Amino acid sequence: MQSLALQDAVADYGATRVLGPLSLTIDPGERIALVGKSGVGKSSLLSVMYAQWRDREATLLPQDLGLVPTLSVFHNVYMGGLARHRAWYNLATLLRPFHRDRQTIQPLLERLGLGDKARSPCGELSGGQRQRVAAARAIHQGGGILLADEPVSALDGPQAEVVMQMLVDAFPTAVLAMHDLDLALRYCNRVLGIHDGGIVIDQPSDRLTTNDLMPLY
Amino acid sequence: MLRPVVMTLAMLVTPLAVADTFVFTAIPDEDETRLQERFQKVADYLEDELDVEVRFVPVKSYAAAVTAFRNNQVQLAWFGGLSGVQAREQVPGSQALAQGVEDARFVTYFIAHESAGLEPSDSLSDNMRDLTFTFGAKGSTSGRLMPEYFLREHFGEAPEDIFARVGFSDNHSRTVSLVASGAYQLGAVNYTAWENEVEAGNVDTDTVQVVWESPQYPDYQWTIRGDADERFGEGFTDRVRQALLDMDDPELLESFPREGFIPASNDDYTIIREIGQELDLID
Amino acid sequence: MSRSASLRVSLGFIALAMVCLAFGDFEISTHDPWQELGRIFLGLIAPDFAAVDFLGEAILRTLAFAFVGVGLGAAGGFLLALLFRHLWVRTFCAVVRAIHELFWALIFLQFFGLHPLTGVLAIAIPYAGIFAKVYAEILDESDPQPAHTLPRGTDHVSGLVYTRLAQAWPHVVSYTAYRLECGLRSSAVLGFVGMPTLGFYLESAFAQGAYGSVGALLILFYLLIGTLRWWVRPRLLPLYLIAAPFLLGTGLPIVWSNVSRFFTQDIVPAPLRNGEGLEGLIPWLGNLLVNQALPGIWNTLLLTQIALVLTGILAMALFPLISHHFTGRHGTGRLKGMLGHIVLVVMRSTPELLLAFILLQLWGPSMLPAVAALALHNGGIIAHLVGQRSNQITLRQDAPRGIDRYAYEVAPRVYGPFLALLFYRWEIIMRETAILGILGITTLGFYVDSAIQEIRFDRAMVLILITALLNIGVDILARRLRNYLRLRHSINRQSC
Repeated sequence: MQSLALQDAVADYGATRVLGPLSLTIDPGERIALVGKSGVGKSSLLSVMYAQWRDREATLLPQDLGLVPTLSVFHNVYMGGLARHRAWYNLATLLRPFHRDRQTIQPLLERLGLGDKARSPCGELSGGQRQRVAAARAIHQGGGILLADEPVSALDGPQAEVVMQMLVDAFPTAVLAMHDLDLALRYCNRVLGIHDGGIVIDQPSDRLTTNDLMPLY
Repeated sequence: MLRPVVMTLAMLVTPLAVADTFVFTAIPDEDETRLQERFQKVADYLEDELDVEVRFVPVKSYAAAVTAFRNNQVQLAWFGGLSGVQAREQVPGSQALAQGVEDARFVTYFIAHESAGLEPSDSLSDNMRDLTFTFGAKGSTSGRLMPEYFLREHFGEAPEDIFARVGFSDNHSRTVSLVASGAYQLGAVNYTAWENEVEAGNVDTDTVQVVWESPQYPDYQWTIRGDADERFGEGFTDRVRQALLDMDDPELLESFPREGFIPASNDDYTIIREIGQELDLID
Repeated sequence: MSRSASLRVSLGFIALAMVCLAFGDFEISTHDPWQELGRIFLGLIAPDFAAVDFLGEAILRTLAFAFVGVGLGAAGGFLLALLFRHLWVRTFCAVVRAIHELFWALIFLQFFGLHPLTGVLAIAIPYAGIFAKVYAEILDESDPQPAHTLPRGTDHVSGLVYTRLAQAWPHVVSYTAYRLECGLRSSAVLGFVGMPTLGFYLESAFAQGAYGSVGALLILFYLLIGTLRWWVRPRLLPLYLIAAPFLLGTGLPIVWSNVSRFFTQDIVPAPLRNGEGLEGLIPWLGNLLVNQALPGIWNTLLLTQIALVLTGILAMALFPLISHHFTGRHGTGRLKGMLGHIVLVVMRSTPELLLAFILLQLWGPSMLPAVAALALHNGGIIAHLVGQRSNQITLRQDAPRGIDRYAYEVAPRVYGPFLALLFYRWEIIMRETAILGILGITTLGFYVDSAIQEIRFDRAMVLILITALLNIGVDILARRLRNYLRLRHSINRQSC
């Protein structure tokens, strides 16, 4: 995979500019944590990136998850792989999943602690469970780069660790908007601090401590 | 558990219609039970006489009978004067085959409920003004066309202007029962249908009576499509005509009721067509 | 502010209806209406199931026409819903659903004749128009986010099915099931123009005064609709849909040349057909407008407005029957509520045409049977929905009781949704009003029926189109009023 770059990217909300212009290059193997106050434009930056890189196999894990509440956990995860199959196969899966897809997806769910939920409709799950389903979908989808917006915000300590570990294992290259600075520093190797629509910190994570990031908040 | 259900369903599927069945219909001018009984007998009779499968199809309106004839879904029909003219106009080459002995000199009865206070008379009376009045079906000759014609002729006005209320009962049996119940004070009815109802004991002649008999005009006839020979073989039309003229089973004839059938031609109904045009019921 | 606006609008409608009353004809002309009613009632309590030879067949055909018609309508409607953003699709759907099933049947009768296709299309076409509109609304309400996260390269069909359709599915299913109930009513009513369904036998039985048979047919019809949710199961549905086309019967064979004749000759206005050109067409059209369309429109509007107001009054009066604020929740209250439910179910499952037909036999021909039938049927539907709505309200524990509770606590809270529902039904009431003309009440349907009886389809088509335009007009007016009164409730799905 080649490097990805943004050139003078901007994001507007109505007439107000919330982001940019900013430029940025991401090299393969870089896992970037976006940090900053809420409303500072992290989600906008992710949207811009997704719009730019969707064709280069970017995988999106949005803050509101994008799950289909009427479909089962299995099907929501399977949706990550829709593009890998023909339409008839996908439609048939909707009626009755194929064995091999169940074999692929079930272990993923087991590791996320959702092993017994494969058949439950997503609409019946708790917030934390839903967030793990969304993570599973992103992992099942795979792709060159993960763009995740607060992927573990609804998870408690140990679960957040599991999910973060699985995400970074699946995606060597990623941009993650994070509010938990400790997790951000441990699982990412580069940190971008956003303030007032621009990048104010851009450092490898091993050179930063949580205290260095406090001024952003 | 589903098997018996499926089997039952499968059995209820009617077999496909056989290709060359000779199908006929009739204008629904009376009670359906009466029509069904009458024409099923005719179907059986024709089947014996013609050596083809014959099927009677009931329809819900006069226009439906004409349309079925026109659409070649039926090949023969027992039409009224007006519906016959309409049908032959739509299907070039079709011809009137036979009419009842009575049909050459048919009449309409005006029947009145006692509340109307009318007495039998030789002419339409001014006492009829502002009563409630019902025709039969909109497309009926004896129940609509001719009575409207005579009313306009006598009063010089449209029926809606003569009467307090004008309705269409849809068939002669219902005209009789509507007038008998007082729903309408006056009604125009086919005289054979009236006699049928009286004979069957369906009418309380104390509350409803005939107050006027119209002049004579030609009415019902059997009409066949022009392409019947092409489809059922040379001479088929003549055989159908002969079969109709030969019908002499009293039980069968009584159900119409007709004394017998006599030959008829399209020209016999010219007067009906002219009146239909005059009343703007035919273009 | 908005409260007083709805009050003003309501009073305006009531005043208009009063004026209309003065112009209408509401006389009971039968001699002894109660005796006839008594006979019908006797028929209902002592139904004669043996008297109707074709009872089984009538039921089977009614079901088959409903399933095939609604099935095709749903499939067609779904495809149209996907194209609903195009103006021409929306216009097409508005026109086809503005024409009543019976008018469609009358049209198809002219060239398909008594073939099952006539009945099937008569249901499928207007239903497709309605399905398209509602499905499109349902799909639009689905969350767009899942579609946004789809992997690149997902094919369109999978994308649609997994995201928008999957979310909309429960609503699509419940709406379609509801329409199936409507379809059963439509299918039964098609018998009145000659399809071999329940209405066919009901009309004959009525015409012959065979009230035992009438009772048997009506009871079966209510049973069929009342038990719908027990025998229409998602798992059984495919079986029904596969079996239904084979159970339509054969009717008479279609002659295809009739179809082209219908479109190239029958519906071409007579002056054009006879080569008189525009000079002939204008007087022809003028004549048709003055003598038939205008009186038809006048009577249709008159009747619609009166029926609309009466529907509203009835609905507001009857909804307490099923509202637990009035029946109570426990003991006898539940029983009362259940009885109320049965009353409303019977009211709303009886098609207007059928009710009007029965009332016509009782009261004789005037606008009265039509108004009563429309108000009973539609009032039953709205009362049911308003009652349900009222059950979602929680009253404070010391809320007043009886009439005070109705006037101060409940009625003001449900009045907005009630008005919205009433305006949604405005168009439906008008469509039904027009069709009631085929029973002899001089609304537009009367003139359509006359034109058809005279084998003049050119006139019939013009009159049907005028009816459709009138419906579309009322629909637009109702939408404006709803917006003006800020009545926004996505409850327009409850409409037959």
